[in-house]
Amino acid sequence: MKLGSEIIEISDNLSFSEFKEILRNKNPIFLEVFKDKSVKYFLNLTEIIDTNIFLKDGDEIAFLPPVTGG
Amino acid sequence: MIKITKNAFNLEEEFLKIQDSSNGGYSFFLGTVREDIKNKKNKIQSIILECYEKLAVKQLSDIRAQAIKNWNLNNCLIIHRIGKLFLGEKIVLIITASAHRENAIRACEFIIDNLKVNVALWKFNVSNGEEEPVNFKNKDKEKFLKWSEVIKY
Repeated sequence: MKLGSEIIEISDNLSFSEFKEILRNKNPIFLEVFKDKSVKYFLNLTEIIDTNIFLKDGDEIAFLPPVTGG
Repeated sequence: MIKITKNAFNLEEEFLKIQDSSNGGYSFFLGTVREDIKNKKNKIQSIILECYEKLAVKQLSDIRAQAIKNWNLNNCLIIHRIGKLFLGEKIVLIITASAHRENAIRACEFIIDNLKVNVALWKFNVSNGEEEPVNFKNKDKEKFLKWSEVIKY
C-alpha cells in the first residue's frame, strides 16, 4: 500500500474506535490494517495508543506501517 | 536545520552552512543507494522514497533537539531526500558540530539510528519496473533501543 489521503466527513462526538469501524466498512483493506500490530496510529502528528478518544473537526489521522528511511 | 527534498545536495555547501570557529569537530553520516547483493536475480535499478512530510519534519526536529541537548552540540543539520534515486545516489546527510569530537560522533550515530526506526519515510526497491516495499529490520530497532541507556529524556 502506498501513501494516500482522503477527507472524510463524520458526525460530532465520534470516537476513534467508531471511526475505525467506518473505515472498515468503506474499504476492506482496513480489516488488514487494523489487525496489523506493527501499524501505528497518529492524530494530528502525535502517536496515539488510546483509541477511545473523540475526534473533532479538522483532525488529521494517519495509519503508518513500520518506517524504512535512512 | 532540517530539510526533506527531491533535489541532490552538495556536501561542501552543506558543511559551510554549519561551519563555525566554536566547533572543534564535526561528524558526517552519508547514506547512499546500495545494490542489493543478496538478490542477484532481481537487481535493483533504483529506489523510491515516500514521506509523510509534515510528520517527518516534526520527528526530525524532535530528534535533532534531543541530540543537541544530550551531546551539547553547537549545531546539527539533517537532510533526507525523497522521490526516485538511482544506485550510488545520496539519500541522507547528517552533520553534527561540537566543541569536541566524541560528542559529535555519538550524536551523529544516535540521529541515524533514531531516524531509521522512527521517522515517517518509506523505501521501495525498483527492479524491472516493479516496486517492492523494503522490509523493516528488527536489528535496526534493537540498535536504536540501546540508546535508551544513554539518552537523557
